[in-house]
Amino acid sequence: MTSVPEPTSPTDATGLTGVTARTGSSVIPTLPGRYYTDPEIFALEQKNIFESMWFCASRSSDLARPGAFKTVQIGTESILITRARDRSIHAFFNVCRHRGATIRTEESGEVKRAFQCSYHAWTYDLEGKLIAAPNLTKMPDLDRVEYGLVKVHLREWLGYVWVCLADTPPSFEEDVLGAVAERLGTVELIDNYDVAGLGVGRRIVYDVRANWKLIVENFMECYHCATIHPELTEVLPEFADGYAAQYFVGHGAEFGEEIQGFTVDGSEGLERIPGVSEDQDRRYYAITIKPQVFINLVPDHVIVLRMIPLAVDHTVVECDWLYLPDVVASGKDLDKSVELFHRVNQQDFDACERCQPRMSSRLYAKGGVLVPSEHHIGAFHEWVQARIG
Amino acid sequence: MKILACPLAALPPGEAFRIEAEPPIAVFHTEDGELHAIDDTCTHQDASLADGWLEGCEIECPLHASRFDLRTGRADAPPAKLPVRTHQVAVEDGDIYVLPSDTPPNLPPGVTVKGTT
Repeated sequence: MTSVPEPTSPTDATGLTGVTARTGSSVIPTLPGRYYTDPEIFALEQKNIFESMWFCASRSSDLARPGAFKTVQIGTESILITRARDRSIHAFFNVCRHRGATIRTEESGEVKRAFQCSYHAWTYDLEGKLIAAPNLTKMPDLDRVEYGLVKVHLREWLGYVWVCLADTPPSFEEDVLGAVAERLGTVELIDNYDVAGLGVGRRIVYDVRANWKLIVENFMECYHCATIHPELTEVLPEFADGYAAQYFVGHGAEFGEEIQGFTVDGSEGLERIPGVSEDQDRRYYAITIKPQVFINLVPDHVIVLRMIPLAVDHTVVECDWLYLPDVVASGKDLDKSVELFHRVNQQDFDACERCQPRMSSRLYAKGGVLVPSEHHIGAFHEWVQARIG
Repeated sequence: MKILACPLAALPPGEAFRIEAEPPIAVFHTEDGELHAIDDTCTHQDASLADGWLEGCEIECPLHASRFDLRTGRADAPPAKLPVRTHQVAVEDGDIYVLPSDTPPNLPPGVTVKGTT
């Protein structure tokens, strides 16, 4: 075995190893570079974070009909998600109970009525029960539920399927709803956007060659906004102060005076979501739900990003632009609306990919620094360190 | 000799009942309200047709999608080639009875009727 990460040494825990510690310094240290490059640290994150917490795996509407399925990598596991005849959604380990073959290898698809392992034809219904196998009637002792596909915990919220691979999942209310409440002040404020009732106007999947934490850190601060997000800063001028984004509880960045909508050129957006309050109108709110979800709220749409960390230096990000169902059905031109945050995404992921290769530089072995408007990222680092022990 | 399957009330349309006879027999109640009995074992590989998918007057094997006509026993879709036997069905006093065929069954490789080779 090679070196095991030592995040818990007293100096690391106080975050003082990265830079020369000076009392009253304006900057505090980041994580050391190896946290972004060491596969063993990533393995701990897979086990203690992605396979232990609630993970937002799919838009419910992606599973439109009974038999529709998706496979999603969560930590080291592949999870098979499907809709049964009674329209309930189920998620299983994508592992045949017989000899361990992958049940479905595609990212998505549709079965008529059952999942059949392509190795020995063990066949499971849409609720996971073993319904057929060669010579099964000769094995009457084989319980069809016990040897069915193994379920993982599942919740639907905001029109998304959230799963948890832990035997005993953490509180969804505390971890997921709590993160929204912590940011907005109260979780009910997100209900105004009726996120579950919106339709997917556009989805773009980004293949990002960077560690997932670089993406989280990027989303949490706006010190970079005026530099890499000219279009966004035009729409949200206060982003130029570097403090915006997720710094103040309940604060949403206000649109500039000349701005008509959250679009790439500030032109008028789409139909406003009816429940959005006057206080929420003409404002942008960003929420991070650890470990892998970012939600952006604007009056006429909601942008949801879901990260799927695949390797220490590789993260897939699926981004949905959600609008009122009538807007989606009408076929209205969404390009200017989508283009704004698509550019933000590209700009952000380019920045993350610019960081990733240098995380292994000997210069960054002890990490870098966080300026005051980024200090709250320190809490994220402490959280990661505590999770991976 | 006729065999008691189950009460008719216990077999709603669309469902199947497996009789643990030698060899096993499957009784189907079609969506159209017909009752049919055939050998339960697919002639291609050992699988229970009662666990398969009933569509109209056809049963599809759950393993490899062979299809059999419930009225004639004919293999309508491969990989099965040989027919299953059909058996007479009767309802008496609310109970379903089956009178097994006395022709030899077409069982898949490796499956034998107890007492024979």
